[in-house]
Amino acid sequence: MAKLFDIKLVFTEIPELLKYLPTTLYLTAIALVIGLVVGFLIALIRMKKIPVLNQLATAFVSVVRGTPIIVQLYISYFGIPIALKYFNYYHGTKYNINVIPGIIFAMIALGLNQSAFDSETIRAAIQSVDKGQIEAAKSMGMNSWQVLKRVIIPQAVSVALLPLGNSLIALIKGTSLAFTCSVVEITAAGKILAGKNYRYFEVYCSLAIIYWVITFVLERVLALIEKKISIPEQPPEKKKKESVA
Amino acid sequence: MSLIEIKGLKKRFGTNVVLDGVDLNINKGEVVAIIGPSGTGKSTLLRSLNLLEKPEAGTISVEGKEYNLTSRSSKEKLELRQHTEMVFQQFNLFKNKTALENVMEGLTVVKKIPKEQAKQIALEELEKVGMSDRLNYYPKHLSGGQQQRVAIARALALKPNLLLMDEPTSALDPELVGEVLLTIKRAAKEGNTILLVTHEMDFVRNVANRIIFLEKGKIVADGTPHEIFDNPTNERLITFLKNINMLRTADDYVI
Repeated sequence: MAKLFDIKLVFTEIPELLKYLPTTLYLTAIALVIGLVVGFLIALIRMKKIPVLNQLATAFVSVVRGTPIIVQLYISYFGIPIALKYFNYYHGTKYNINVIPGIIFAMIALGLNQSAFDSETIRAAIQSVDKGQIEAAKSMGMNSWQVLKRVIIPQAVSVALLPLGNSLIALIKGTSLAFTCSVVEITAAGKILAGKNYRYFEVYCSLAIIYWVITFVLERVLALIEKKISIPEQPPEKKKKESVA
Repeated sequence: MSLIEIKGLKKRFGTNVVLDGVDLNINKGEVVAIIGPSGTGKSTLLRSLNLLEKPEAGTISVEGKEYNLTSRSSKEKLELRQHTEMVFQQFNLFKNKTALENVMEGLTVVKKIPKEQAKQIALEELEKVGMSDRLNYYPKHLSGGQQQRVAIARALALKPNLLLMDEPTSALDPELVGEVLLTIKRAAKEGNTILLVTHEMDFVRNVANRIIFLEKGKIVADGTPHEIFDNPTNERLITFLKNINMLRTADDYVI
């Protein structure tokens, strides 16, 4: 019987796949930035309850959270060119959709998907900061920017870090769907590779290992950051002197 | 001319008039206590003075410079806020900063004092409130009384013209009240000008040199502790004092 499972291949294929890792990471990084920036804006719009924008933001978050990411990728990939055609038709312009690489559509779709989830996390984190401390900072004479920078953001970050980390991990795995926008990242590369030798199972095992290692490293890094920014459980010196009262 | 002159301060929440044209002058070094039934706007009065509430009308002048309390100019707001400092009922220390960092924060961020110098000032102030042995403790490592003492040091470090204290001992366990009152008494002895809302009547009698009785948004009585507690003339003040059992002789409060 021919070898049903070639375990050696699982590992020898990894270097081949890693050539496409930069694409995966690049896609992740850009989508992460889009997600955080747009997510922060949506959080602000919803907290300040800016009319019209607030309703639009609420609808956007609801739709994005309520549809599968693969559908969003297709909508981005097919919808943006259609929109551009209409734009060209009504404005007499001749923008060419074909010059835009597929990865841009994937970045937009994944980034906006992230923003919907991140906005809720960011909103909750900012609202969790004690109002009393904000008042204390204001009554000291800090301006709004100083209050945001010195009091709200440092405390909100420590609250938001873990949920944002989780959403980053989901994003990295979500990039494996970017093939729908004709992006060749590691998963797509794996499929192409397997198409040549019909060793699909092995290549998926290789991919699983790569994704797991990336996620594992990321988890460690996040845990380190969390430890660094959290307030120690114990006071600095164990020995408590009687205070002078 | 008084150090602080407040004129025509008005504030309402919805249809509920909380402050109904309050005029108040405070001289340098005075310790003024505001007493009165709950819901009469004692805290709102303090909070309006550093614009944590937005009054509908009123002006305040500090050392002769007048500010409109309804001003929307953020420059004016920031300037006014630097004349006053607030000590809160719930302490409101920055919980991600140590005791020392809490006191240094306003000095470095608002007053732009160099770090080393700010640290010296902070150390002195923490020494005065007896917290020198807890410099690197975070608020969650400190008791309520200790947190409030740090908060007092934080306010005094900024050398305010007027120190506002909003029920500074109300959130404390009874046995921790004494240490905070003592700290306030020391701050008063040092010549700080203080406007204080409190329910510690014995303390008021002992430390304040002037008492204001606020009812329904108006100053109804204004006098020395002796005038207020021993010879009250105002009908409503007499009722209030009866209700809180202060009309009988109280032993002098000794800490």
